Parts: sequence; C-alpha cells; structure tokens
Amino acid sequence: MIEVQEITRTFAGRGGLLRRPGVRALRGVSLTIPDRGAVCLIGESGCGKTTLGRILCGLEDFDGGDLVVDGQSLAALKAKDRARYFRRIQLIHQDPYSALNPTRTIRQILDDPLALRARQLGQDGAWVAGRRDELLGLVGLDPAYVLPRYPHMLSGGMRQRVVIARALTVDPEVLVADEAVSMIDVSLRLGILQLLRDLRDQVGVAVLFITHDVATARYVGTGGELHVIYRGTVIERGTTDTVIQHPVHPYTQCLLSAIPVLRGIEEPGAARIVPTAPLDDRQEPSGCLFQPRCPLAAPECAERQPPLSQLGGTVQEHACLFPEDRPVVAVPAAAAAD
Amino acid sequence: MVRVPRSSRSGGADTVAAAPAGITVGQPDADARLSGPAAVSVRDLTVAFSTPEGLLPAVSHVSLDLDRGQITGLVGESGSGKSTLALTLLNAVPQPGRVTSGAVLIDGLGDVLGLTRRNLRRARGASIGYVFQASQNSLNPLKQVGKQLLDLGRSHGESDLRGLLRRARTLLDDMGMDANRVLASFQHELSGGMRQRVGIVFALVLNAHVLILDEPTTALDMLTQASVLEIVRKVHAEHHLTTLVISHDVGVIGDLAQRIAVMYAGRIVEEGPTATVLADPRHPYTRGLLTAMPRITGDVALARPLPGRPPDLTSIPRQGCVFRERCPLAMDICAAAEPPVTKTEGGERRFACYAAAGETP
Amino acid sequence: MITGAVLPPEQLYEAMQRSRRRSTRRWRLFVSSPGRVAASVIVVVFALMAIIGPYLYPANLPINPRKIYAAPSLAHPLGTDFEGTDVLALVVTGARYVLFAAAVAAVITLGIGTVAGLAAGYYPRSTGRVIMRVTDFVLAIPGFPVLVVLAMIWKFGSPLAMGFVMGVFGWGGIARAVRAQTLSLRERGFVEAARGLGLPGRRIIFAEVLPNLAPYIGMNLMLAVTAFIYTEVGLFFLGVVSYTTSNWGVMLNNAVFQAGALTSTRALAYLLSPLICILLITIALVTLANAVDEFFNPRLRRL
Repeated sequence: MIEVQEITRTFAGRGGLLRRPGVRALRGVSLTIPDRGAVCLIGESGCGKTTLGRILCGLEDFDGGDLVVDGQSLAALKAKDRARYFRRIQLIHQDPYSALNPTRTIRQILDDPLALRARQLGQDGAWVAGRRDELLGLVGLDPAYVLPRYPHMLSGGMRQRVVIARALTVDPEVLVADEAVSMIDVSLRLGILQLLRDLRDQVGVAVLFITHDVATARYVGTGGELHVIYRGTVIERGTTDTVIQHPVHPYTQCLLSAIPVLRGIEEPGAARIVPTAPLDDRQEPSGCLFQPRCPLAAPECAERQPPLSQLGGTVQEHACLFPEDRPVVAVPAAAAAD
Repeated sequence: MVRVPRSSRSGGADTVAAAPAGITVGQPDADARLSGPAAVSVRDLTVAFSTPEGLLPAVSHVSLDLDRGQITGLVGESGSGKSTLALTLLNAVPQPGRVTSGAVLIDGLGDVLGLTRRNLRRARGASIGYVFQASQNSLNPLKQVGKQLLDLGRSHGESDLRGLLRRARTLLDDMGMDANRVLASFQHELSGGMRQRVGIVFALVLNAHVLILDEPTTALDMLTQASVLEIVRKVHAEHHLTTLVISHDVGVIGDLAQRIAVMYAGRIVEEGPTATVLADPRHPYTRGLLTAMPRITGDVALARPLPGRPPDLTSIPRQGCVFRERCPLAMDICAAAEPPVTKTEGGERRFACYAAAGETP
Repeated sequence: MITGAVLPPEQLYEAMQRSRRRSTRRWRLFVSSPGRVAASVIVVVFALMAIIGPYLYPANLPINPRKIYAAPSLAHPLGTDFEGTDVLALVVTGARYVLFAAAVAAVITLGIGTVAGLAAGYYPRSTGRVIMRVTDFVLAIPGFPVLVVLAMIWKFGSPLAMGFVMGVFGWGGIARAVRAQTLSLRERGFVEAARGLGLPGRRIIFAEVLPNLAPYIGMNLMLAVTAFIYTEVGLFFLGVVSYTTSNWGVMLNNAVFQAGALTSTRALAYLLSPLICILLITIALVTLANAVDEFFNPRLRRL
C-alpha cells in the first residue's frame, strides 16, 4: 500500500530581473493506493497530475508532506536511501518510443534490470532468461519475435508492452501509467488498458492511471477510484462510476461535459456546463480555486477554499460549498443498436 | 466541368481536353461550379509512394464528396492514408509520393491537381484553408503572429492589409482571445489551444470557403478540445464553409461532423451520415473500432480489442479486401478481389464489404 | 505519411537479418556509394603511408645536388626539392608525423571532452559546475597562439608531443556539446527509467547515454583529425616550429619560403604535392563522417 500524505510541490520562480512567480504544482494532495488497486487521476494539462506521478516514482522531489511506502515514511529518509523504495513504483511513460533506448535490443533492455535483480536474489543467468520469457508472456509478446529487435522495429503498442514488461522486472508494487495510451492507435488502446487490468490480478500490482481522457479510466478494472485534480488539489474523489455518473463538483461537471458525444449512439447530458474563462496559472484566488472560472459560483465561494468533505450527504468526497448532482455526462441514445 | 492538363501526374502524356472558350488552361475558373451539392469532389484518387519495394499506394481509388456547408469527418488510424489524402487536396503530397490517378475538383478552381504552381499557391489560403495540428508548431518561432499574418496577406497580393488585420482581430475576438495580445505574441508564448485557434484564423483570414483541419485536437486536453470544437462549429456556420475534419479520434468526429468517412489502409471503407453510421455500422472495421474504443457510455465488459495491427504502407495486402486479416467475417471471396462499393439508403451511405452486402461464404 | 524510414517497423528486422547473412554488416556502410569507396581507399592508402612509409625509405633521404627542383620524371614522379631529394619520398615519409599527431590529438580531445561532457551533463549541479568552469577556461585559451609560444620553448620533434599539446587545448568545444546532449538525454524516458530501475549512475552513463552519443562522437573524431592536420601544418608552414623531421608542413614551408614556389613555377610539384595530400585526406574524412554517423545509429542505416 502506498500512502500519499499532503504532498506539496512548488516550482521556484525566477528571481532577479526576469521575475516570475513560482508555480504551485501541488497544494497538499493525499491519496491511498491499495494493494492491487486502481486509482485514476483526471485533470486538465498543468493540473499537477503528471508532477504527482513523477514524485511517486522518485523522479521529482517534493517540498512538503510525506510518502509512505511499505510502511516506511520517505520524508524521514535521506535522498539516497529513498531509492530502493521508489523502485517499488515504476513509471509507464506516455511515449513508448523515448522510453526505450534506441541503440539497444529488447533483450539488452530487459537484461539490464533483470541482471541486477538476479544479483540481489542470488540467481543466475538461467533465471534471468526464464524470467524474461515469463514477463514477455505476461504482457502478450512472443519472446522469439521481440528479443532480437531494436525498439524502432516494433509498433507503438508492442513498445508500450515492452515498457510494461521492463517495469515488472523489479517486482513493483505500483505501476504509474501517465497517459500510457494517448500515443497509441485507437484500436490498440483497449489492449493495453486490459493488460493493466489483468496485471492487477495476475501479478498483484496496483495501477495509478493518470489521464485527461476520462473514458479510459473506466477500463482499468473493478474497484477503481477516480480522483479529479484541479490546480494541484483534489476537488472530487470516489469510485469511478459514482464520479462519472453523479458528479457534484462543477469542475468535474465541466470536464465530463467536454467529452465529445457520439451522435447516433449517445445523447448529450441534459445539464452540461462550461467554464467561464480559460485557466490562468498566475491568478491566486482568495477562496475556492475554481471560483474565477465556475459558471455556478456564489459570493461565498470567493471567501474560503472548501476542504474535501461529504457536504450535502454525497457518496463521494468533494471540495465544493454547493455540491449538486447534475446530469452532464453523455447517455446512451434511446434506440442504441449496440 | 473544366478539364485541365494532367501535368502534375506521373506517367500520363500531356492531354488537353477541349476547354470552354474564354478559359485559359491552367487558370482557376471562377465559374467552374461543380454540379450537385458537393463543394469538393475527390474522384478515384490514388496517391502512391516510391519505396524499395516499388510504387505502393497510400491512398487507393478514393472518391469522396464534401457537401457544401457541411462538416465532413474523416476517421482513420495511423497508416490509413488520411493525412496523405488531406495533403492531396492542396496538391502538397511530399516526396517520394505522387498522385498516380484521379482528380480533386474544388468549386471555383477546377482540378487542384492540374493547377499551375502560381495558381496553386494562390488557391492555398485564398480558397482552401488548411489548419495543422497545434503540436506541429506550424507558426514561425521567430516572428510575431501579427507579422506572420501580414506576410500571409502580402504573399497573396492582398492590397488591403488593414482589412486583413481587422478580419483577424474579429476572428480572434470571436474565439474568446485577447486579439492584441495574441497578435503581438510569439508562437512559444501561446498555449496549445491558442496555437490551434490561431491556426484556424490563419486558414480563414483570406476568406477561404473550404476549411481542412488535420487532427485539430490531438495533444489538447478535454476542456481545450471542447472549446476548439465549439469554435470550429461557430466559424463553420458563420462563414458558410465546407469543412473537412481529419482525426483518429472517433469521438471528435462523432460530435462534430455531420457526415463521416472511415478510412482503412488507403481506402474508404464506409461513409454516410454520422448518426446512422455510428448507430448502425455496416463495415466490420467500423464495427470493430467502435467496440474497441474506450467510451464513456456502454458496457465495459462488452469492449473487445481488434486483433492484429493497422497495416503500414508495405504490409497492405495487394489483393483482395485489405481488412480481411483482422476481420471476423472474412470469407474466401474476400481474398480474391477488393469488395465493390455498395450504396444504400438512396445513395446516402456506402460501404465496401462482401459480408455486409449480403454475400455468404 | 512517409517521413524517414522507408520500411515499416516489422520489416526492418528482416532487412537487418538479410544483411547480416551477407557476412559483414555495418562495415558495408563505408563502401555503400562510389564517393565513399573512393574516400575509404584514400584513407587506407594514407594510413598505410603513415604506418609503413618510413620503412620504405632510408632514414636520411638522399640528396642529389645535380637534380635540384627537377621536373617530374620517371625516376622522380613528383620532381625533387631544393636539395634534390625525391618529392614522392618526402610525401610518403612526411605522412606519418602529420597524420599520427592529428590522430593522437583527436583521440585526446575526444577522450577528455567526452568524459568531461558526460560527467557535467549527467551530474549538472555539483560536478557539472566545476567541470564547466574548467571547460570555459580551456575554451578561452587561444589555441593557436599558445601553440606558437610553446613551440619556441619546446621542439615538437615527436608527433606524440605535438598531438598531446594540441589535444589538451582543444577539448573545450566537444565537452560543451557533449554536455548539452547529455543534459537533454538525461530527461529522455529510457534514462529516467534506468534510474527508476535502480541501475547505477556509471552504468547509465556508459551503457545508456554514451551509445546515443556515439554517432556524434565518431563524426567529430573524423572532423577533429582534419582540423588538427590544418593546425599543425599551419604551425610548420609559418616556420614557428623548428623542424627536426620532415613532414608535409615543412615541405610547404620550404616550397614557399625557400623555393619561392608562389612566384615561380620551378617547384610547383614540390608545393602542390603536400597540399593535394592534405586536401585528399580532408575530403575523404569528411565524406566518411556521414558513414560513421550511420554506423552507430541503427535508425539511419538504410539497410
């Protein structure tokens, strides 16, 4: 189990002549990733979800808060001692091509971390070869086909599977999939999503799925949680179905309203809303962060930032003073020929 | 219909069909109206690329009509040939590609593929507006946006540059942007959504009547995507355009376009009004794509990935139906020859599939 | 849209296998076009000249006072110099110093520059800052004038010495460029992944980053050799370095200042021979620089 406790991260601004204010990428985010769980982070670009993913993998430092991995608080450790905990969390990058070294074959790419692991476990070369084949089988690739090739000789979907196999070489607890399917052909995306879902059962790994495409969040398996992030804060969270079908925070409702509606198969939600203004990173609102753009803002909203709660008796947690379940998401058309 | 010499095509001798009196061959003809509702008519177009394995078609015998005032969507994955088809409308296919047959007829211009270089340059921008992906950074990084607009006007011999800027300002205001700020900015100072909108302004500022958008919302997040789509709708209606949207995202096309054409391996496998095609897809690829697509509605358990992979230029089967290797309904006849196009519903819909046409194994 | 590769991903592997079966694989890049064949031949010829040339002639080349500045003939295909020594012999024996010094300099420059650049790029904060100060210092040193000054104190009799000095002053540019590339590679997915997987830093630098820089380094090695050839020939030509051995630069110096080759046609062959050699080797190395790039870069290879 991984616990994220009130993580904050501010990117320092530039002082001196070219004064630029710092960007508060994360303002105290907390979440728990249960064993074999699936947590989805949704938000616009620049909302901090990628930063959180990178912090979890140890690629980015955090300024405040704590990460608890395997019961160990990482804030209490020095940087170099943290490395072995971060190894339990592996990143699946958006771009499968840049995630693989173009000058090395797939066999070499997988052997590097496996050899390290073998030394740790006191195993030999035969174990490395066996494990390599096992992992490739798990991700649905034929070892004989894939191993001698260079990355540019494989398709995007296959490369992404190799990336997943490589991530599994260190027996991680969590796979952080940051827009893992957005650069893959539409007809191949489902395959990767279902692979992540299946790995939760077969290998016992949890998935933190970061995306701006809400629809993909539905396919990472049962028991999924959806967390909506806005400007570095979680503003709504609950089970995936609840948040999609019964969103209560206006920002979540704007996101769901923006999803394109497939004519003929779907009808638009009845109460769709849009933000009143584009995102302005430099503005620091006095109250609710979304208030400057919220089409439903009331005067009180500018006074204080609401905390996460179940105000109004909602099933999920949210950060709104006036939550209301609005039908914004598309619904199946009346006579769907599915 | 004006026929102009096929000088830009390979293999053919220069043939000049009898041109109506008063029309200089090679000149765009303002009276060259296409009969019927189509503002752009692609007729039996084949575009091939030279590879070590020979001349291979990226677009094969494609016919498509873009009806005046309609938004048509072209859906295809990588390798489907949709980008090549889009560029052919501007006669801008990059080397080593060539048009080997067919015509692209545009209202008021005649056959784009036969235009002289000068007239082609004039047509691009003035008649046809092309909008690239935001991520392709098609703006000059070293010049301010406003200056580039003026360059555009000047290179098209636009005498009234002030009017040009005024039109640009109006368009930018309509799109909810601060016109002064945008015109003074450099490309890197604008966000992806803003760049996309600026791209649309560039495409429309010379009063083009055909607008082509190539992957307009790729790499944009949901809210920005929705606002760009809304702007496309608005601009399309206000300026009475004929719009072609190309995307791999079925959702974008499904929301925006009134007609949809599905491309696979260089061919149009299905075409028709969006709502009917999506509700009742006839071609197995369309059906498979809809089943394999992550969606916000629909039963998650019913989703099935499509087996195999979209083909690349050299792995397209040379004979028979190009989709048969991934098709659940493949029959012997599918391997023999490409399926003919079947038209239904009074010509409103068409598809190319033996099984869908009622053939049995 | 067709952009770079002309084969789809699946077929690249088969293509690689096919060429593998035809014995040598990547080395064929150096003979893949007529220009490259010529260039390779030139390089091989000059390399042989440098290695075995001096053994083909006696240590002290014979002088022949009766045949000073003789025109090209069968006995002396390129004529003779101011002492009657055969020019061809001078060219062949003079190759070793020039080419060897340039090669040594190139290896030293690229060796120091690459290591410095890699370290500075991969550890940009602590180590990097120190290395870049040193690099800036080295870059600021005006190489050629320093060599001139040093030449007054040090007789560069041995090509090793010459090569060493040139190399030690010349690595600044490479270090900067390698650092810049390392910095950007460091952010690439596969390097971050290697860090996340717990691979040690040194291993990442040499196994992940360096192979991606190999095309750049190989190419620059070729070009550095040409640059150093010019540097040392320039020094000798100016007469700044006291010559104890004969080499192309010395020949040029003699041809111009002793024989007045720029004003009369007597010693034309004497002047042109080393010049043409320098020109040929430069063109050959530059032509092959592309081949070296493709040699190391699996994606560029049009197999």
